[in-house]
Amino acid sequence: MSDLNLDAAQLDRYSRHVIMDDVGPEGQATLLDSAVLVVGAGGLGSPVIQYLAAAGVGRLGIADADSVERSNLQRQVIHGDDDVGRGKVDSAADFVTALNPDVTVDRHPVRVDPDNAADLVADYDAVVDASDNFPTRFLLNDTCVLADTPLSHGAIYRFEGQATTVTGGQPCYRCLFPQAPPEGAVPDCATAGVLGVLPGVVGAIQATETVKLLLGEGETLSGRLLVYDAGDMTTEEVPVAANPDCPVCGTDPIDSVADVSYTDSCAVPE
Amino acid sequence: MDWRLFATLSEAAGTDEVSLDREEATLREAFDALLETHPDLAAEVLDEDEQLSDHVRLLVDGADPFAETDGWDTVVDEDTELALFPPVSGG
Repeated sequence: MSDLNLDAAQLDRYSRHVIMDDVGPEGQATLLDSAVLVVGAGGLGSPVIQYLAAAGVGRLGIADADSVERSNLQRQVIHGDDDVGRGKVDSAADFVTALNPDVTVDRHPVRVDPDNAADLVADYDAVVDASDNFPTRFLLNDTCVLADTPLSHGAIYRFEGQATTVTGGQPCYRCLFPQAPPEGAVPDCATAGVLGVLPGVVGAIQATETVKLLLGEGETLSGRLLVYDAGDMTTEEVPVAANPDCPVCGTDPIDSVADVSYTDSCAVPE
Repeated sequence: MDWRLFATLSEAAGTDEVSLDREEATLREAFDALLETHPDLAAEVLDEDEQLSDHVRLLVDGADPFAETDGWDTVVDEDTELALFPPVSGG
């Protein structure tokens, strides 16, 4: 159980949480005692990091191997013009420190890969997939399901976003998409472009899901895929049914990600 | 019946909604009719065996017809909403 004693500055900083029945001092103490891994400090990761830090999530792991580029700044709002060329993890950590001294940042300036994923995930209460590629997305799904660590998934394409939440015993991302499209079939942001504010919306949804997961409040997107179209300003909800044959969360799951090749289709070998 | 198309699929088809002027059809007939009127979709949704690609999800009124109803034989009518969407990866 966490220490429920918020100090005076914390009672002030988090007062709008503390007065809510659904959060209260206990919920705020829970957030301060929580640790979340955010994979990707880019378009989606920026609002995720921003809101989780503001909410007082006590420890934020930030994993990203990239450096800030000027073309990122149209949407990656935690990085500034002076950060161009710096590691995204360092830039993000400075942002968090300036925003909220209650938050400790674990810097992981690495690409999450099959060799380090399980160790990284093991150190956190929840994981946010704010990555920008299918191999990382499938790897995080598989690793989190095997570790029984809740995962918030978000992804964007031009004007459209997708978000879902994977929690223990519930359908996973692979139930919905068993494998990745052929390379190039679904282009990334660098190729296709993306509306700058789109990841702001989708990342804020992921931050919302993560706070709810930590607090145990509300209904998450577990078992549902939210599809957001910024062009029409519409949302659709797609049910995600558990696939009993899912190689990761089904009745006969894999033991580890060791035999899965996270390239091309990212398919799990039969 | 209407097809809703998402992300790369709406771009390939040039529209995000395709209405089929039929009172009743099987899902297979509705799918074939979609590809007939929008042939550029085929490369996006079919694999090398001309089957629906594993990475593309097809829904009938928001449900998975292959898990919950009769798959390609599911009967759809003029009010049915059909959807096709791919995963996206941007971040």
